[in-house]
Amino acid sequence: MRWIVKRVITILTTFYIAITLTFFLIRLMPGNPIDVMINQYMQQGMSMEQARMMVSSLYQIDFSKPAWEQYIEYLQLIFRGNLGISYTYTGVPVIRIISYALPWTVFLLSISISLSFMLGIVLGMFAAYRRNKKSDHAITLFSTITNAIPNYVLALIFLFFFACIWKIFPIRGTRDPRIPPGFTLEFISNIFYHATLPILSFFITTVGSWILQMRGATISVLGEDYIRVAEARGLRGRRIMFSYVGRNAIIPLFTRLAIAIGYMFSGSVLIENIFTYAGIGYYLTYSVTARDYPLMQGCFLITTLAIILSNFIADLLYGFLDPRVRIER
Amino acid sequence: MVQVKEVLIRALRKSVYDPLKIILRSKRGAVGFAIVLFFALMATVGSLIVRYDPSTVNLSEALQPPSLKHPLGTDWFGRDILAMLIIGSQDVLFVSFVAALITTSVATFMGIISGYMGGKADSILVGVTDIVLTIPGFPLLIVIASILRTSNPVLLAAILSITAWAPLSRAIRAQTLTLRERGFIEMAKCLGMPSIHIITNEILPNIMPYIIINGIFAFTGAIYAQVGLFMLGLAPYKSQNWGVMLNLSVNYAGAVFSIKQASLLAPAICIILLQIGLVFLSGSLEEVFNPRLRSG
Amino acid sequence: MKDGGEIISEYVVETRKLTKEFEVSIGMLKARAKIRAVDEVSFGIKEGEQIALVGESGCGKSTLGRLLLGLLKPSSGQVLYKGRDIWHISRKEFEEFRRNAQIIPQNPYDALNPAKKLSAALIPQILRHKMARGRDEARKIALDLLERVGLSPPEDFIERYPSRLSGGQMQRVVIARAISVKPQFVVADEAVSMLDASLRVEILDMLHKIGEELRTTFLLITHDLGVARYFARNGKIAIMYLGDIVEVGETEETIRNPLHPYTKALLAAIPVPDPKIARERKIIPLKSIDVPSLLKPISGCKFHTRCPYATGDCEKIKPELRLISNRWVACHSP
Repeated sequence: MRWIVKRVITILTTFYIAITLTFFLIRLMPGNPIDVMINQYMQQGMSMEQARMMVSSLYQIDFSKPAWEQYIEYLQLIFRGNLGISYTYTGVPVIRIISYALPWTVFLLSISISLSFMLGIVLGMFAAYRRNKKSDHAITLFSTITNAIPNYVLALIFLFFFACIWKIFPIRGTRDPRIPPGFTLEFISNIFYHATLPILSFFITTVGSWILQMRGATISVLGEDYIRVAEARGLRGRRIMFSYVGRNAIIPLFTRLAIAIGYMFSGSVLIENIFTYAGIGYYLTYSVTARDYPLMQGCFLITTLAIILSNFIADLLYGFLDPRVRIER
Repeated sequence: MVQVKEVLIRALRKSVYDPLKIILRSKRGAVGFAIVLFFALMATVGSLIVRYDPSTVNLSEALQPPSLKHPLGTDWFGRDILAMLIIGSQDVLFVSFVAALITTSVATFMGIISGYMGGKADSILVGVTDIVLTIPGFPLLIVIASILRTSNPVLLAAILSITAWAPLSRAIRAQTLTLRERGFIEMAKCLGMPSIHIITNEILPNIMPYIIINGIFAFTGAIYAQVGLFMLGLAPYKSQNWGVMLNLSVNYAGAVFSIKQASLLAPAICIILLQIGLVFLSGSLEEVFNPRLRSG
Repeated sequence: MKDGGEIISEYVVETRKLTKEFEVSIGMLKARAKIRAVDEVSFGIKEGEQIALVGESGCGKSTLGRLLLGLLKPSSGQVLYKGRDIWHISRKEFEEFRRNAQIIPQNPYDALNPAKKLSAALIPQILRHKMARGRDEARKIALDLLERVGLSPPEDFIERYPSRLSGGQMQRVVIARAISVKPQFVVADEAVSMLDASLRVEILDMLHKIGEELRTTFLLITHDLGVARYFARNGKIAIMYLGDIVEVGETEETIRNPLHPYTKALLAAIPVPDPKIARERKIIPLKSIDVPSLLKPISGCKFHTRCPYATGDCEKIKPELRLISNRWVACHSP
């Protein structure tokens, strides 16, 4: 119990740090976005006062107040879930855009991670058992090569061939807007249809990493004495493979899961851009190019929080699975 | 004088010739080395064989498939793809290399000091590293790069390393912590050697292999980030930069319909090859440093 | 050896009520507990003495060794070098102490930097302490050292990497390294435990010779009574138990006629090949085989839980080291 409490406190602290950092990020940049926006409005003919009020209403913070008070206001807003109003999508609250976009990214990433992790550990164990045979060499080579490929470059290649030239998959979008959303087969198959290429790009470039890690972990577990004892005891090969080898080999991989999640979010910024897939990564890029700073701040913050949360969940999962930690609890 | 020459030859032998032999012995090492060498040559002397000016726009020759005149065809604006590729490699390789250098240096410095010193300094440095670790690298990168629009390659390299050093720093710190407990370090302290000496002469040489191999990964990471940044159109435009070439392909994807236009993906293939080459090379370097891994 | 009083010390190294505690977190609740590795030890070593410090694993002998060298800071008590408390002297004086107190670590495979040649194991400190006028002279001194520890011809060895040496050769280099700064006091922490039996005598003899030639004081920490007996045959032996020194005396005398019950038990436990002698030996009936854990503080004499001669006093009052006819014993009824 104490262990969970400690974890929760850590994550809340990290949340707080992330929120504070985002606040300073925008303001401490050379070319302070707030001033830039005020200038932009002034160029459209507004006075300094009016411009400042406009920008204030976008961020929902009064900029005439001293920085310290702005920070408090900012914290209060975040706490209430108010992330300001988008500059380019006039009048639309940032939180609304994000609540529309984030699920798509989560959808994409969770499927990609699950697929590549699961296939990765199966193939990894397979390769470890056939160590140094032809199949192992092939799998290892394949893994090393695919792992080196940048995910967005592969995405572009897929876009070119599978979408543009051979027209097997759609070029852009999360779904066909003509199909009404709902739990219908038509809708669900449509989203998967649109998500195939992005997921494939992620999957192919990350599965290799899991294969290699699992292979390495399995090989070292296979060398352990307790496996030899299990074999000597006459346990069946399959039982050993799953209950003893598999379970122990997987444990170190879970800690790397957290790092993988962060990496995936970064990758989604690029891949969503290539497929014009309306996830949070796409809007982050969009807000940066369009200089929609309130939206950019919101996207950045939510992405950071999403990564922290995912790490937290992965950490909890690891805690439940590793018996050594379980006993400590 | 003869002695100096001997020492030089011996040093070269040890640092270049011998490792090279080991690298070239395995298939992967040979392939990796060849690829990296190829791109290094492309970036340094490639410009000598370029026939066209990569920035000249010539719409009448737009989107031509590979031919004798244009070995890799032309792009959306009639520019020779091969020329763009070769000139662009300079940018990509140079900036990424400098970024990797910065990342590795900062990480090594922080990691070793933190690990060796311990105590308050360590706690502070670890705290800073942890905070930087929570920030998602690439999103931060695009935010900063877009605001700090710069064409200065060194500044760009510095921006690319802004969060990349943190995971490496943590790993190096862990290595330093284990090294610190070794007998020869204890003896060095007993013998009265100052901390500077211990850090540079006793600890650093032992983690150098680790640093070099991770330096290569820092290099691949920087390439990924740099090309990605340019592909999103967030860095000042330079027509021949590989990322910019990809950016155009993304923006004009709607106009792609034939396989004859596939040569537009030449920069993509180059990036993939380069990354594979670097990964193979680093794997081979591991064999150089760790004789136990050698198969031959 | 006494506790306190003398201003001009006859000892080159001395401790007074030296204590070292470590904090550990144990169990599920990560409770903090203190372990007293070294418990109010008062003890001194004269110049030129060869002393063996003997005890079972976990008795605190390595910790004591490191405290004597100033590698660990005491929790309380003093460590004196030539009569001065090493933690309360000027920086310059501490550097002087540093040069004169060296360690030979336990694992020879670990005591040399694998990434550097042997020259780097010897030359830097010679230069640092200004014992030579330049690199060339320092190198000559290094070659001399290698010769002295039996690595001949030294020119062959000095450019080698540790990976090209055998265990015994490595230990010799380590010894050369330790004496390279001409220290007055050397602590050898299990210096021969990791070597083959055949090498041990050679190394111990070498340490002896060096001790005599350089007038260096050696403290050999070991768990092996045989090694202790051989090394300190002309010197003293000190027995340690759970953080206390329980007996100190001339080696042969102490082994032939142990006074402290623990020393008796230790000696009785050594397997003797000759069955006739083994049968004739006295068996010390210990009350329990288990060594009590340091996590729970033990009142009075630490050995009382196992000592067959324990009296009521033993449980309450901790015995101090007393001089009984040329032997120091910490026992109420030796």
